[in-house]
Amino acid sequence: MNLSINLAGIPLKNPTILASGIMGVSSASLKYCEESGAGAVSCKSIGHAERMGHHNPTVYSWGQGLTNAVGLSNQGVDEGVGLLKEMIETLTIPVIASCFADTVDNIAKVAEKLIASNPVAIELNLSCPNTENDFGLMFALDTDATTRAVSQVKKIAGKTKVFVKLTPDASNIVDVGKAAEAAGADALTATNTLSGMIIDIHTKRPILTNKFGGLSGPAIKPVSVRAVYNLYKAVKIPIIGTGGINTGEDAIEFIMAGATAVGIGSGIYYRGIDIFKKVTDEMSVFMEKNNYSSIEEMKGIANI
Amino acid sequence: MKNEKPLILPIKNIITENDRVKTFVFEYEMDFQPGQFVMTWIPGYDEKPFGIVSRKKGEFMITVAAVGESTKALHAMSAGDLVGFRGPFGSAFSLPARPAGGPDSGSIALIAGGYGMASLFNLAKEAREKGIDVHVFLGARTKEELLYLDWMKELGAVLHLSTDDGSEGYKGFNTDLFKNSVNGVILSETKNPSNHGSFADAQDDNIKFDKAYTVGPEIMEMKVAAICYKNNIPFELSLERYMKCGIGICGSCSVDPKGWRMCVEGPVIDGEKLKEITEFGKYHRTASGKVDPYPWTKTS
Repeated sequence: MNLSINLAGIPLKNPTILASGIMGVSSASLKYCEESGAGAVSCKSIGHAERMGHHNPTVYSWGQGLTNAVGLSNQGVDEGVGLLKEMIETLTIPVIASCFADTVDNIAKVAEKLIASNPVAIELNLSCPNTENDFGLMFALDTDATTRAVSQVKKIAGKTKVFVKLTPDASNIVDVGKAAEAAGADALTATNTLSGMIIDIHTKRPILTNKFGGLSGPAIKPVSVRAVYNLYKAVKIPIIGTGGINTGEDAIEFIMAGATAVGIGSGIYYRGIDIFKKVTDEMSVFMEKNNYSSIEEMKGIANI
Repeated sequence: MKNEKPLILPIKNIITENDRVKTFVFEYEMDFQPGQFVMTWIPGYDEKPFGIVSRKKGEFMITVAAVGESTKALHAMSAGDLVGFRGPFGSAFSLPARPAGGPDSGSIALIAGGYGMASLFNLAKEAREKGIDVHVFLGARTKEELLYLDWMKELGAVLHLSTDDGSEGYKGFNTDLFKNSVNGVILSETKNPSNHGSFADAQDDNIKFDKAYTVGPEIMEMKVAAICYKNNIPFELSLERYMKCGIGICGSCSVDPKGWRMCVEGPVIDGEKLKEITEFGKYHRTASGKVDPYPWTKTS
């Protein structure tokens, strides 16, 4: 079965993309995902300065999904530029450069340095829910901040496509998606994790050291599917559907809602590093059985 | 069954090993294999991986040195205080395959430094229960820092002890004791013969180890690996890397160039796989993901 897609002009052999924040610390960890069948990978978000992240516990499974507050640990953009270059050279599939910053000006500065390595796409992580104390509110909660960040980066992006990662915490994710599109975004990633909190009643405290964390995995899939469904109606640019994809059927559900590609992250916990191969195999089986011959054919067909 | 969410347990009792190290005992049947670890949550501080030790059913222990803020906080706790555990996680040690019903059950070498014995104790226990001879090459800075001596004597392991200051056993490295033992050379290693286990009188020369296992500082593991490669002894070691999630998704403990995660494909790695881990003995990554070369690789 041919699962190839075209994502904003970037050809992918299959629609599975390693979501940013998962693996992605080194080129070796991304290569491992490539060898496990991913169609593309995203590096872990790179910011202007080195960050150690929050103290553990930073990630765990709580039953219906995972929660995390890793806290954007990264080497900082000056080392990150070399790292990104190495990732692009080591992998044969597209590498999406994820980046974040504390201010709109800084995200443009970080993006500019990364774009110099010519990644096929840069993903603006405007929606990490775990760094409020350091950085204030997420840009992607707000249409104005999103517009400013996207248009500044778009000005300097050259051939590099600009993707925008949205948050399900926004009061209206569709408005933010439309603002990103109007500012020149080439694709949207929907969604980042959903903010949440889990308290241990024995020790009487939140388990994550950061107290709050981003929920991911099966629990948030319906939230993300809804976001993709509504965004698909409102924007023309492609959408990377992300949130709780564990199976080929899950991926197809996102595609039928309107996604062009799918992000996989927590699924690595549930099904192993070879989830990419499992998901694409399962998609092929479904498509054969139901007489679909391409991903494109299924895109948005549930969007009624 | 592994605990995904931290399982909260009260400390049952605390054993003071020496002025830096304590062993914390918990009443819980931890379903683990030797070499696996638990992510241990010290509420309010941090969560760190520790090897699991169990001497009897329904009980397990972790041995912790007070080296940082969180481990000092754990040391300040008392019986009844609550600690959280996720796991057990990671790969496990495997005993050498021997022909079933053979007269000779074989012999293994465990080379442990620092707190490495915590990850090896239950391998020693399992091996002794199967009738395998267990030679433990235990190294520490001083006599006080040699862990679990009585427990290992009780298992009937042969102890080869070394200390940096010579306060117990051979003065020098346990890797030298292991190397000499492999080469059939006996060093004057034992000041106090009572440290030996039940078959202590057995001749130590010409020991043919079926397999070796090592856990400890990476520089020690490198020396053991070199001895094993040279002498064609199959071996396994536990490779420690900075861990955040412990469940294979954050990428912090992925090693170059294969990307294997030391919390899933590791921490126990065999000698063949180790050949493919080019960063072994050279560098590791910090919490930010930055490459940090080991001091011995830096040219002076």
